[in-house]
Amino acid sequence: MVSQRHDVTLEWPDADRETRTIAVDEDETVLEAAERSGIALPFGCRTGACGTCTGRLLEADGAEPTAADDERTVDVDGAFSYRRSPRALKDRHRTAGYVLLCIASPRTDCRLAVGANVHTELVENPWK
Amino acid sequence: MSDVNEPSDVEPDHEHDHHHEGPGYATPQAAIEEGEREELAYVMSLYVGTDVDAPDFVSVVDLDPDSDTYCEIVDRIELPNRGDELHHFGWNACSSSCHMEGLERRHLIVPGQRSSRIHVIDAKDRRNPELETVIEPEEVFEYDLSAPHTVHCIPDGEILISMLGDADGELPGGFLELNDDFEIEGRWEPPGEIEMNYDYWYQPRQNVMVSSEWAAPKTYYPGFDLEDVEAGNYGQRLHFWDWEAGTVEQTIDLGEEGLIPLEVRFLHTPESTHGFVGAALSSNIFHFWRDGESGEYRAEKVIDFESREHDDWDMPVPALPTDILISMDDRYLFGSNWLHGEVWMYDISDPSNPRRADSLSVGGTFGEVQEVQNRELSAGPQMIQLSLDGERLYWTTSLFSSWDEQFYPEEGERGSVMLKADVDPRKGTMELDEDFLVDWGECPEGPARAHEIRWPDGDCTSDVWQ
Repeated sequence: MVSQRHDVTLEWPDADRETRTIAVDEDETVLEAAERSGIALPFGCRTGACGTCTGRLLEADGAEPTAADDERTVDVDGAFSYRRSPRALKDRHRTAGYVLLCIASPRTDCRLAVGANVHTELVENPWK
Repeated sequence: MSDVNEPSDVEPDHEHDHHHEGPGYATPQAAIEEGEREELAYVMSLYVGTDVDAPDFVSVVDLDPDSDTYCEIVDRIELPNRGDELHHFGWNACSSSCHMEGLERRHLIVPGQRSSRIHVIDAKDRRNPELETVIEPEEVFEYDLSAPHTVHCIPDGEILISMLGDADGELPGGFLELNDDFEIEGRWEPPGEIEMNYDYWYQPRQNVMVSSEWAAPKTYYPGFDLEDVEAGNYGQRLHFWDWEAGTVEQTIDLGEEGLIPLEVRFLHTPESTHGFVGAALSSNIFHFWRDGESGEYRAEKVIDFESREHDDWDMPVPALPTDILISMDDRYLFGSNWLHGEVWMYDISDPSNPRRADSLSVGGTFGEVQEVQNRELSAGPQMIQLSLDGERLYWTTSLFSSWDEQFYPEEGERGSVMLKADVDPRKGTMELDEDFLVDWGECPEGPARAHEIRWPDGDCTSDVWQ
């Protein structure tokens, strides 16, 4: 049986890069599909521990997050299935729509913020 | 392939009627006297965590002032994969193997901190090293280990690597042993001896090893989060091991003043049981030693760096001493305060009472020097390396890609630099060499970060004597 595919649109915030849409099989990760399409996304451990590949869900199946920064209507856990536990993300990150692209496979069409800048949103300088 | 060219017919002599047959120098003093001035440096260079579509690489830096390419990256060994985060590395052999006839200090073992991939680079041609073997992450995960950190050769030609996590990036960490053909021999220690791991150093003549603690990979990989400090997810312990048995004999909890004990160094003299560890988050340096009467190790805070107020920061800025090293003659302890922007040297002739000798204020949040040769510095001094004769101190500026992004976001845009100070060990002074600058901002694929530094023929942070 051929597995289902979903259109995943990749956008690089604050970077001068063109938005790209790739078809991702339900049994492959977003990172694998990007590599197959010749698109470089940041990554590190590929086991869900390091967060280098973090993306942020912008829209899933037509539903956009609400205007409030921390309150999103998009259900990130419904939009992606994880191969293993996303250890690099804390609960607050998952609630805010962050996704580990090295272990996440889509379950719906969606739009993602990607690139190194997204990973840096996970933690801030605690003294500043 | 092995670096042991012929079977040795010289029995290792642990009683030290020392036959010097193999790599390295017979004593630390011999390293000072016989070692030549460093003309090349190998430096870990990385793109992981950026959008630059290129693998990390090992830089070969020209340090010969008489060369036309002085201060330039003259060769780059590109690795086959992206995403490694090159961090720390080491030689297949050091002075601890100097009884091993036929063994050469020839292969660099270069782990990927994030990928858990281990590269073996043949550096027989010192200016043009070549990648020889790659141990893939899956082979490492089979031993339920990940996140390779410190590499030391161990005295019989084998290689030991501290591993900070299990195969999932959680605790416990442990140690991975490679044989002299660069194949995984297995776990060096019985699993479960420690929870957290980071750096280690061994003193074989005293049958002791000491290891320190960072955190689980899943904790420190994404970046530094105060929530993790409050939850007790960062380390504060030192572990003292029976070196031959590979078992922990004693654990010292350094307490809140010893949070995140990173680089740990014994004195070079093989008889010594004294050493130092930098507690990065608490900004303290601890001295440790074996108490002669009880035979147990003790640890005491001997240097305390105060946080400093800064107009642009909400809270006092901690110093964050992220690297320390001991000069080959065991007289000085050098270190770097990455956040404050300071390189310092302490006289440790009396290791219980370090005396501040000198410091340089450069880069970082408070550095008096914020540019060299009109090149703006993006971060504070980080990994340091000292010449064998103790007269030249070099440093790079990147700590760890995700932590750099938090504290010095410009580092990723501008790249790292390598700087140098001239040291007068007799007077105990340092002076910034403003003619010296190596710039990773000008790499062909884009600005890169630079981390640990090694010399081709041994250095103050990798050589151990048996």
